Amino acid sequence: MSAWLVMSVLVAGGAAAVVRFLVSRALDVGRGRVPYGVLIVNVAGSLIGGVVLGLAERAAVSDDLRLILLTGVCGGLTTFSTWSVETIELALTGRWRASILNLAGTLLLGFLACATGYLLSR
Amino acid sequence: MRLALSVFLGGLMGTGLRLGIDQSLPHADTAFPTSTLIANTIGALVLGWLVADLWTRPGLPAWVKAALGTGLLGSFTTFSAVMVSLVALVAAGFSALGWIYLAATLLLGFGAAALGLRLGARLRHRRPPDLPDAGGSL
Repeated sequence: MSAWLVMSVLVAGGAAAVVRFLVSRALDVGRGRVPYGVLIVNVAGSLIGGVVLGLAERAAVSDDLRLILLTGVCGGLTTFSTWSVETIELALTGRWRASILNLAGTLLLGFLACATGYLLSR
Repeated sequence: MRLALSVFLGGLMGTGLRLGIDQSLPHADTAFPTSTLIANTIGALVLGWLVADLWTRPGLPAWVKAALGTGLLGSFTTFSAVMVSLVALVAAGFSALGWIYLAATLLLGFGAAALGLRLGARLRHRRPPDLPDAGGSL
């Protein structure tokens, strides 16, 4: 793997993390409620990931571009750690409805977005 | 601006670490994505610990949270890769493997997040109380 490719993936990941930061800050709902900002970036990243997967299957994107988009852009934009820790925190503070909504909503919408993106682009 | 830069640099490193794990444990689209499972589990454990321990320290600069939490660990872990692998496995006819992978991710990842929060809370209580003037009068 060339140094340019590694740098491109890393910069894409860093820039996508800034987008996640800005979205979750703009949609800050405060403690005890579903963190919609993280939900939205996770679903959006899953949609982009599905589209890239479909395009790569019919060789419409190169292996290098696939790595930049999937590992860099989608990987940096979405997060598992924040999602899981915030969901557990909601449960630990007795906010069961928000916790289950955050867990199930992210999973359901994320899977639907990714599958739809894949099916439309392959 | 300083916060965004902290997130960018943390995100750069987190993505680099995840890329490193992906490259050392490569997998085909139709195989079990062990590398993502490892990154997500470790990331959730460490973030849980930070949230319950380091984040509670008075006077912690906002850029530390932005760099370590949102940037480094946020980018080290990934939700989209879980969905992409699940869809790829289901589409290739390996549905059972896909759902096992999702179940393993949820079980290990959320278990690690809960464990991290517990460990962090325990370590916080073990720490000597913060002195009002950061020990300057000693």
